[in-house]
Amino acid sequence: MARSGNRGDLLAAGLEPAPVREQFASETSADAMWVAAARDGDRAAFGQLYQRYARMVHGVLLAKVPVGEVDDLVQDVFIRALRRLSTLRETASFGAWLAAIARNVASDYHRRSVPEEALTDDAFDKEIQCRMSGGNQDGLAAAILDAVMSLSEAYRETVILRLVEGMTGPEIAAHTGMTHGSVRVNLHRGMEQLRAKLSPDPRGDGPEQEKS
Amino acid sequence: MDMGNDRTESRPSTNCDDYLWDRSGEPDPELQRLEGLLGKFRHDSPTPIFPEVVRDRRRPFFAWRMRLFPALATAAVAVTAIVALTFLVYRTKPAPTTVAGWAVSSVEGTPRIGKKAISTKQGTSPLGIGQMLETDRQSRASLQADDTGKIEVDPSTRLRLLSMGSGLKRIALDRGTIHTYIWAPPGQFVVDTPSAVTVDLGCAYTLQVDDSGAGLVRTSLGWVGFKLNGHESFIPAGAACATRPKVGPGAPYFEDASAEFRSALARFDFEDSTPWQRAHDVAIVLGEARNRDALTLWHLLARVDEGQRVLVYDRLSQLVPPPATVTKEGILRLDQPMLDLWWNELGFDDISVWRHWERSWAGTATPVREK
Repeated sequence: MARSGNRGDLLAAGLEPAPVREQFASETSADAMWVAAARDGDRAAFGQLYQRYARMVHGVLLAKVPVGEVDDLVQDVFIRALRRLSTLRETASFGAWLAAIARNVASDYHRRSVPEEALTDDAFDKEIQCRMSGGNQDGLAAAILDAVMSLSEAYRETVILRLVEGMTGPEIAAHTGMTHGSVRVNLHRGMEQLRAKLSPDPRGDGPEQEKS
Repeated sequence: MDMGNDRTESRPSTNCDDYLWDRSGEPDPELQRLEGLLGKFRHDSPTPIFPEVVRDRRRPFFAWRMRLFPALATAAVAVTAIVALTFLVYRTKPAPTTVAGWAVSSVEGTPRIGKKAISTKQGTSPLGIGQMLETDRQSRASLQADDTGKIEVDPSTRLRLLSMGSGLKRIALDRGTIHTYIWAPPGQFVVDTPSAVTVDLGCAYTLQVDDSGAGLVRTSLGWVGFKLNGHESFIPAGAACATRPKVGPGAPYFEDASAEFRSALARFDFEDSTPWQRAHDVAIVLGEARNRDALTLWHLLARVDEGQRVLVYDRLSQLVPPPATVTKEGILRLDQPMLDLWWNELGFDDISVWRHWERSWAGTATPVREK
């Protein structure tokens, strides 16, 4: 969300200590430089942008499409971005622009695909619990990923960027254009939901039992 | 949380929150294990070789253009003659202005731009300023503008393009449902509805308008501002907000709030109730409010009468204490800077984004009605 031209204002009003702000401010100016070079046909510059943003794109896609499709779609996102680079007006908002393209590619993927019949919430939670009790590490990881995929859409992407891609909150904010406040809230609430889903408590009390 | 055989109680902790946020503070064993397990899905592909899109396209195009110059020149003369003839024939009918902007494609059925039908085989058609895009019960459409975003248009929807270009990008949704994914900077994409102006402050939302002009916005990413004649609502991801003609936007709410909460809020916002009934509805909302419903209570501060404002202040203070620089007296007299400071404590987003939009575009925040 809050992207581009407001980044400076938001960082100034943000929660991070000055060195963190400076780090991401310098990354933003490097982005602008690389975007300008890539527009002139410099493939190495676009490679730099790929290295910086591939994890973010991968995470955004993983939040929306099956894991086996993600790597190919990451390539599609960057190819699409490369072809449209001349249309990007605010180079400092490259990350937010790229994230939007990734969401768009995921949306196109679903439009082309035949929808699968979804399990009900209860059946889904039971299946996760069943697979988690198997003891196999790969099966456990897949079951946890499925639990993450069942989170509210607003939280899923941020939680995947943090837990799967290993990005910190400030990195997620800087790379997606979201504000620190939004990322923090999404992480906190997403983890609450995830804990509830992974809890073996059959009552499965969700995170919204927080009446004061 | 349980992951296999380990069980640790869920416990909010500042140190663990720090670890969740930026891996500082005391490491959280649960999170570390989740990171370890889920790390197998992490991106680890090497940087691919990207095609030289810019240069590769320019050089062949230039070479071909030179080779085909005579044919192109002849074609250009013919096209110029046709355009001139068309202009002479139709000059009494001003054509809609088509700017680099929204390209419309059919997703299903045959949506129409004005009287022109668009089929799924047809590719894209530009939507000119002043033109109307309409879908019937069997058709759906998609609009895309590279520098703005994408809009998916559901069946039975009618929208018009009001402005485009480098400044404010504006459409009017007369009826139906659109799903927007916006990557233009916050505050640049605006949708007029018959009962409020919707301002994109984030990424993705769904907007519905029924035949009476009543609207509903649901935000899935980022946040959205809803405004009518000074009546404003902010809707963060996961929340919704209804709006009614002549009334404007109600208070936003999370859709997982209790049914009693939502019913009382709807009555308070939109029904012509007696003062006693309104006080009763506010009491229900305050009683049912959970921590995250501070979103709704903050909006109610400016909408209740002075007597109830004290009650809303007290309940909101319990849920999210105001910052030290915010006083009760200031809130009760609706001091805007203090209200803004308190909003920023709610954890949704920094309201300065909205205030910046207001300073830039305040004069435009009145819906443009259908002529």
